[in-house]
Amino acid sequence: MTNDLIQLVDIALKDGPISVRAAGRLMSLMEDQPWRLPELFHAWAAVRQGREDELSEQIPMPRLFLGITGAPGSGKSTMTDALVGEYREKHPDKKVGVIAVDPSSPFTGGSVLGDRVRMMRHATDSNVFIRSLSARGHLGGLTLGVKGVARVMGLIGCDVVIIETVGVGQSEVEVTQVADLVTVVLAPGQGDSIQMLKAGLMEIADLYVINKMDREGSAQLHTQLLSSLNLSFDKKEVTDVQLVSATDKTNIDQLVDLLDKRTSEQSSDWPALREKRMYADVSESVLDQARMLLAGELRTNPDLTKQIIEGTVTVHDVAQVLLEKACDSTQEV
Amino acid sequence: MSDSTATGAKVRVLIGKPGLDGHDRGAKYVAHILRDAGFEVIYTGIRRTPEQIVDAAIQEDVKMIGLSLLSGAHNTLFKRVLDLLKEKGAEDIIVFGGGTIPPDDVPGLEAMGIKAVFGPGTPAKEIVDTLNSCLA
Repeated sequence: MTNDLIQLVDIALKDGPISVRAAGRLMSLMEDQPWRLPELFHAWAAVRQGREDELSEQIPMPRLFLGITGAPGSGKSTMTDALVGEYREKHPDKKVGVIAVDPSSPFTGGSVLGDRVRMMRHATDSNVFIRSLSARGHLGGLTLGVKGVARVMGLIGCDVVIIETVGVGQSEVEVTQVADLVTVVLAPGQGDSIQMLKAGLMEIADLYVINKMDREGSAQLHTQLLSSLNLSFDKKEVTDVQLVSATDKTNIDQLVDLLDKRTSEQSSDWPALREKRMYADVSESVLDQARMLLAGELRTNPDLTKQIIEGTVTVHDVAQVLLEKACDSTQEV
Repeated sequence: MSDSTATGAKVRVLIGKPGLDGHDRGAKYVAHILRDAGFEVIYTGIRRTPEQIVDAAIQEDVKMIGLSLLSGAHNTLFKRVLDLLKEKGAEDIIVFGGGTIPPDDVPGLEAMGIKAVFGPGTPAKEIVDTLNSCLA
């Protein structure tokens, strides 16, 4: 399979198994080289040439980017699996994407990505695309490549994309930068009412799901959460709370109805929000590229660092020299 | 090396258990040692069909698929995985196997296109070294 972005976008839009392969490879490129995200726009424009009536001006976007986050073992993957099943039943002709992030080893960089184990019944459904990602050392609940992978999910026509974070603690709230709606999954036995008062994770939910409702303590957790939400100073945003059992699929239909309702109520705000994020992502890619160029120059000129330490030049001087060197070498190419 | 520092890319491997046996200690062991060797391992769980394994491998864009099997159906199921990969234009994905596979069957599996077969008791280092040389 090629690594050429334009060819891959072209193949990914075709029918049949080869398009799945191309989409998978596009996701790998976005994952391995996140700074190449803006090249997708270029590739789309190239592929669209002569097919203007068939392809939209911009890469298609899903109706909903749904973030799912919560503590390890709270049931995020099982709930994702249940949601995929319910979405497929409710919208049989629509495609669902899943991006599931799991942690990487701080020692070897390796990882075991096990979220798929809960979702294998969808493996042969051609309208479900599941991609497991390693955090690759990134803290915050996601991974650097997630935005590009989410773009590719849109490109291949996913109607809903579920983004499942690593099992998080109290302060990994990065999912709010990618998702339109964030679901925080809670399960009984993870803490008392004081946990509900804490800042961070407990503030980011558009809706809360209390999973494992069949377990002891779920009713108490529900009461604690509701009373904690009632204390909230700013009550403009109504936060929903849904009790479910993901394993036996109890109330998952209600959860999907709730998500569809929230989507149609709020989606008019999303184009502006998504555009803002797109600008931020592209800016970040540009800066990443610039930084890599400069880092390369600094590596090949170790004397510069030495001179700073010796006190003969300032950091500012070296930064200027690096910029000039980077300019010269890009002109040579 | 499984790590290409220029891009931050990692080698992605899918470990699957086709067929009906439910003993996945070996599969989990291999997943663990590959993790420790710096690979990204996608584990599918037990009792999967070759179709599920191949479709998952393509979506995940893995470089290698490891099949663990103890039921004796390796000649049929490994072959089916290779055939499906070919059918779907993904025959460049390296397939290796492991489990209770009679040594007499190994040459046949290798002729079929299975790149390596690891029997019970294979040292971790040997598995990692063999896979790295398959990638080279």
